[in-house]
Amino acid sequence: MAINNRGPVAFNRSTNPVAATGQVEALARQLADQIIREREQARARQRLGRIFTSFDPTDDILPNNVEIVTRGLFAGNTGSLTSMFLNSNLTATQQTYFQDIYSTGDPADDTNANPELSVAYGHYGGSGSVDTTGNLNNDTPTRAIYKQYAQLLLSPLDKKFTFNGTDSDSIYVLNFNRARYREKLDPGNFELTFAQLSGSMPDSAIYNAAHTGSNVRVSGLGNYYSVIDDSSLTSGGSISEGGLVYNLVSGSIDTGTNIHSAGAPTYFGLLYPQHGIAVLNADQLNKTYANGGLNFDSVSGSLVQGANATKLFKSLSGSQALTPTSITGGIQSRSSEQVKSTYYFVRVKNAEYNYSNNPSFVTGTLGQLFFNTMINDPQVYITTVGLYNTRKELLATAKLSQPLLKNYTREALIKIKLDF
Amino acid sequence: MGYLNNSTITVDAILTKKGRELLARGRDEFKITQFALADDEVDYDLYNPDHPLGNAYYGAAIENMPIVEALADETQMLKYKLVTLPKGTARIPVVSVGQTTIELQSNESVTITPQTVNFQGGNRRFGYTAILSDSDVAEIVAVRGVRDQAASVPQFIGDSEAAQSITVSGVQFEITAKELLTADRSITILFIGNETGGRASVTLTVKKVEIATTGLTAG
Repeated sequence: MAINNRGPVAFNRSTNPVAATGQVEALARQLADQIIREREQARARQRLGRIFTSFDPTDDILPNNVEIVTRGLFAGNTGSLTSMFLNSNLTATQQTYFQDIYSTGDPADDTNANPELSVAYGHYGGSGSVDTTGNLNNDTPTRAIYKQYAQLLLSPLDKKFTFNGTDSDSIYVLNFNRARYREKLDPGNFELTFAQLSGSMPDSAIYNAAHTGSNVRVSGLGNYYSVIDDSSLTSGGSISEGGLVYNLVSGSIDTGTNIHSAGAPTYFGLLYPQHGIAVLNADQLNKTYANGGLNFDSVSGSLVQGANATKLFKSLSGSQALTPTSITGGIQSRSSEQVKSTYYFVRVKNAEYNYSNNPSFVTGTLGQLFFNTMINDPQVYITTVGLYNTRKELLATAKLSQPLLKNYTREALIKIKLDF
Repeated sequence: MGYLNNSTITVDAILTKKGRELLARGRDEFKITQFALADDEVDYDLYNPDHPLGNAYYGAAIENMPIVEALADETQMLKYKLVTLPKGTARIPVVSVGQTTIELQSNESVTITPQTVNFQGGNRRFGYTAILSDSDVAEIVAVRGVRDQAASVPQFIGDSEAAQSITVSGVQFEITAKELLTADRSITILFIGNETGGRASVTLTVKKVEIATTGLTAG
């Protein structure tokens, strides 16, 4: 850059070396100040007639900020699911493997019904279902379901789910829709409320093999249990083949996190937040209410189509009617997602961006300002910020919530957050 | 004791279609380096310097206006950009092409050199972006390019039109009419200043080829 019109700098010949050094320093400082001043002036001149301003990569761009975003898990960003409907569009064969749970209605009747999760029953040996191919190869749905989830969530040599140190051959599974839980379920904000079912009642005339999904009902005794993950305990949570895993224990999050008998809680299952899956111990659910269970009485015959998954649906969907108003019932959960953001700091100095190409800002065809008062005191309003690359391609846009006045007496600092 | 005015405004940005495309391409092309400001939905006719309540209310109608959400279509955003100009400016830089209509015969050419009036040296470095809306009717090339990379985004036109349009950057452009056999066609050519913003449009009419028919008779 050329430096013009510099004034002469006086330099007095001196025999004193200290004085000479001081003179050189003063001269150097004067020159440096002049260079800086001229650069600033040149920059100011360069800004004139411009619609774009470059970001300073060091000061104006803050990349890779990580933020945890949590939302209600269910449709409409709601944190609880109390009204549930089965999907009767599933084929009979599909229903032997799983049931879909929808909010707002059965999709067969309501085209706007929202899918929320699927429930399934699995048995290590295939009990509670029938091999539709003639029982030649034990190709039973419940066996397939058990092995599928064991394969997904357990280590390669571990074939059975273990709850509080005891293996179980029989599981219930809640599998939440991926679009709902996004990255993972939010540990510490998960609660299932189960209503006691009609199985194994002293006066029940329905024996186990007949206590299928279509025959089961809520007990009518008004009993329920709520179950939460144990992430609030310091000992809660571990890393497994299936990623993070928490125990599901008796407790509630309705009035703050509260694990019942925290020292020796009742263990109901396991929560795999990263998979969006909860695996419940059917052995625990099968117990009577007096023994800490919910009378599921899962159909255990080897040649019976038990439709046990429907029991899980009936217990969850029937719980809200039993709980007092202070307790939500059904399913409560949130999704959790790690969002990476970059912040762009748009700094608009007082002398910048005080005029507009907006056609209503001018009158006539020669660009004359619409208001004469704006010749020396222009007033414009920022509503939109555009972020561009060097080719001046518009890559991202941001809108302000209301127009921001800009004139020669005002500067603006707008922080733009761009999520990836 | 009142509250301090928190002067930092935080707003969320959304990616445009172009932004998503470059991000998906994954060749380190998604690199934001500069910004521009705009006031697209502001009608300065709402500004009232005669407001009976005084100058604090001159812009009240604009300031109280709710703003519509951002669009992902980059062709419909930031149409009217704010510009930095010297204090005391009485006229906004205006892009001018000297004419509003051009009529060409088939295969005829015309050279257009846009000018920026009201601002000396305006758009001299980055030139202009010219958008010819229908390549079936004419072609456009930059006779004199620009010294640096310039706008390549076809602004103000949608996808279907963009497929038919030609966008070039430069300081001087040559437009050549194509041979039309069926009918005269009129299209728009838009010139946008790459530095000052502002734009000018020209209507180009290309006349169809007149074929002389001499007394042919059947049989």
